[in-house]
Amino acid sequence: MDYLLHILVMVCLYAILASSFNLLIGFAGLFALSHAAFYALGAYAAAITTTSLGLPFPLPLLIAVVFAAVMSVLIALPALRVSGHYLVVISLALQMIVIEVILNWTSLTGGTDGISGIPAYTIGSLRLDSPGRFLLAAVPITALCFWICWRLAHSPFGRALRAMRENEDAAEAVGKNILYMKVSVFAVSAGLTAIAGVLFARYFTYVGAQSFTIDETIYVLAMVILGGTANLWGSVLGAAILVILPELLKFVALPVDIADKLRLIIYGVILILILRFRPEGLLPEPRGEKAMFVSINAQEPVGASNDLFAGSKDNVGEVILEGRNLRKSFGGITAVSDFSIILKKGQITGLIGPNGAGKTTAFNLLTGFLKPDSGEIALRGKNIIGRRPHELVGAGLARSFQDLRLFTKMTVIENVLVALPNQSGDSLFRVFFKRRHVREEERENAARAMEILRFVELHDKAYETAENLSYAEEKLLVVARLLATGAEVLLFDEPMSGLDPTTLAEIFPVIRKLAESGKAVCIIEHNLDVIKELCDVVYFLDEGRAMAVATPEELMSNPELATRYFG
Amino acid sequence: MDLLLQLLVNGIINGSHYALLGIGFGLIFATTRIVHFAYGPIFTFAAYVGWLLAGGLGLSVWVGLTGAVATALVLGLLSYLLIYRPLELRNAPVLVPLIASLGLYIVLENLVGVIFGTGVRVVEHLDTQIFFVGPVFFTSLHVWQVISFLVLGGALSLYLRRTRIGKAILAMTDNPEMARIIGIDTLRVSLIVFAIGSMISAVPAMLILLKDGASTHMGFAAVFLAFVAVVVGGVGSLKGAAAGGFLLGLVQSLGLWQIPTEWQNSIAFIVLFLMILLRPEGLFGVRTR
Repeated sequence: MDYLLHILVMVCLYAILASSFNLLIGFAGLFALSHAAFYALGAYAAAITTTSLGLPFPLPLLIAVVFAAVMSVLIALPALRVSGHYLVVISLALQMIVIEVILNWTSLTGGTDGISGIPAYTIGSLRLDSPGRFLLAAVPITALCFWICWRLAHSPFGRALRAMRENEDAAEAVGKNILYMKVSVFAVSAGLTAIAGVLFARYFTYVGAQSFTIDETIYVLAMVILGGTANLWGSVLGAAILVILPELLKFVALPVDIADKLRLIIYGVILILILRFRPEGLLPEPRGEKAMFVSINAQEPVGASNDLFAGSKDNVGEVILEGRNLRKSFGGITAVSDFSIILKKGQITGLIGPNGAGKTTAFNLLTGFLKPDSGEIALRGKNIIGRRPHELVGAGLARSFQDLRLFTKMTVIENVLVALPNQSGDSLFRVFFKRRHVREEERENAARAMEILRFVELHDKAYETAENLSYAEEKLLVVARLLATGAEVLLFDEPMSGLDPTTLAEIFPVIRKLAESGKAVCIIEHNLDVIKELCDVVYFLDEGRAMAVATPEELMSNPELATRYFG
Repeated sequence: MDLLLQLLVNGIINGSHYALLGIGFGLIFATTRIVHFAYGPIFTFAAYVGWLLAGGLGLSVWVGLTGAVATALVLGLLSYLLIYRPLELRNAPVLVPLIASLGLYIVLENLVGVIFGTGVRVVEHLDTQIFFVGPVFFTSLHVWQVISFLVLGGALSLYLRRTRIGKAILAMTDNPEMARIIGIDTLRVSLIVFAIGSMISAVPAMLILLKDGASTHMGFAAVFLAFVAVVVGGVGSLKGAAAGGFLLGLVQSLGLWQIPTEWQNSIAFIVLFLMILLRPEGLFGVRTR
């Protein structure tokens, strides 16, 4: 009996480890291999605070959580500035160093001997020193950890994490603070992992470095992948399967040593097979309507959402954004040499020019994705140089990308929802402590997102996954997402390239209506018919600067520019 | 001063070892963009096969080396064909081959333990010569470590520059997409880099076996330090991987002047950390944005 209960305790521990790891790799797409290191930090923090300092519950738990979270932030800040493979190698290094410190700081950690004699939990006079009794503590704590993961994942913050996972630049371009998100999810994940570590220490009353090697991280990774990335129930299921499965090996007579290795081989094989044949895992990431946190009535337009275009229509022609003498070079190549532009309220401005003229670089400069070498940019008269793209979105300046960068594995409506401005659910604090407010706001936002989709006539596809859209629909979704940011300056990078005339005819009125409602619109475009149809004023770019600024008619009757453009 | 000189020489010796591991791993990484963690246990596997032949069966060290190289070659090719290739064909996101390689890592590492048993394996009765040059001492194995780097590094460099397929490899390192478009057979190139990279790793594996013996966990340090050398040197640059390896070896070794031995890996970590902070593109990398 105790044996079965022991397995249950292990399932609890690994359910915590797998869920918190899933937050990191499944939701946020941050592939850090330091999970076992934070597990160790939690376990050792508990071991040291209970044995050497004799602190009573719940202090060791709290100290362990805070310690792991703080450590994770210290490590994460530099590591998260770089991405992808760098994070892998830095986190691997962290894993090594934690083990090395544990093994070498003998006076504190006992070195290779580890720390024994950790007091078991007690409830009143009941010592939780058997597996059955320990479950009294393990089950509620596991449930609490799972709940924390669940709240975080199923909130606007969690949605923004998934958007970041799909495309970091695009998430930033809809106003998400990438660094804040990365650091906070890293800290939460580390803190929860530390809780599993504390349980480990209390259960076994012993900690030793060999329990926290890189193999442990791979073990947990296998659980997450088997269960399904970005599905928290999947992590629990994955933990249960991979804890129970190797126990079955015990019924086969094998030397202990071999059995242990066989167990790890099985994990590796399962990991590979799953990736090969069912990469989404046993329980795939929720899609369609299941991905929503609130339900909305899609059939019924919500009146309040008409304020989409309620921008003031006064002061048309007022200068909103002005860039002066911008310059940017990469190594020896000058992409933008001397570019000035003025975007006015209610106007559609076109940027044309041959390939390599610097159009997209100009967008990157204006929206903070690149820092100009020199020059000035002012938004409503305020200098905005050096401000991060997500801050500029908040200040009312947003852009789209030529290569779309939709959040492809999210639904259409989520793509729009994530872009809506000022979501209180973007803050982790409010996700946990202002839950009702966040929920009500989410309901409004969902209705509003649906309204935006209705405007671009994608509402029938609201619960489709974005990667299943046709090209024309993807383009419409790009417009919808940009519109959702609520910014007053909208920069479109080739919104209409590759579209057939019918679809063009659908997008034209959308863009025109944006200008009529008082937005300052700027589009990069190659198709001169589009320019003629839409633009009030056109900048002709070549060799990194504006060769001419004119109305479309003037521009097209200029023979010199025509030769430049058509070669 | 004498100590410093000795540490410098040790640094160069260890640096050669890391540099060799770095170019093997780096060649695979730069060309295929696969973080091939199984490089570590394949290194271990090679060392154990080398031990079986040279130590267990008492054959010559050269037979052992041949066996080690052949083992690494076969395992390297199999990992690409059976694990990574199908994922590439499915256009899986970059993290997927990385995770698969961790799965492969754990399978191979434990397979070594199941097949050969745990515990350190050493080749006995080696007559290693010891040299004293002034205050500095080193052994013939140390010399071999440096020579193997010089020979293999030089040969690889010539191969990449001078042969048609070598140029194709460099082109793919530069831009895999473009390489495919201009008609480079990327399957063939990938197989070749897995073959070369794996075979290269067998040489330091054999030398470590002769020097310190083989243990089942030796692969982790090998692949980790190779990875660090590549990142420090600049992803995509083999010259960088070699330089990164030497930097690592030197800093680790010179660090011992003041810092106790057991913190060697932490020193490597600090080099890596500073590098990523101060110069994320690495010693020889190109800043992309």
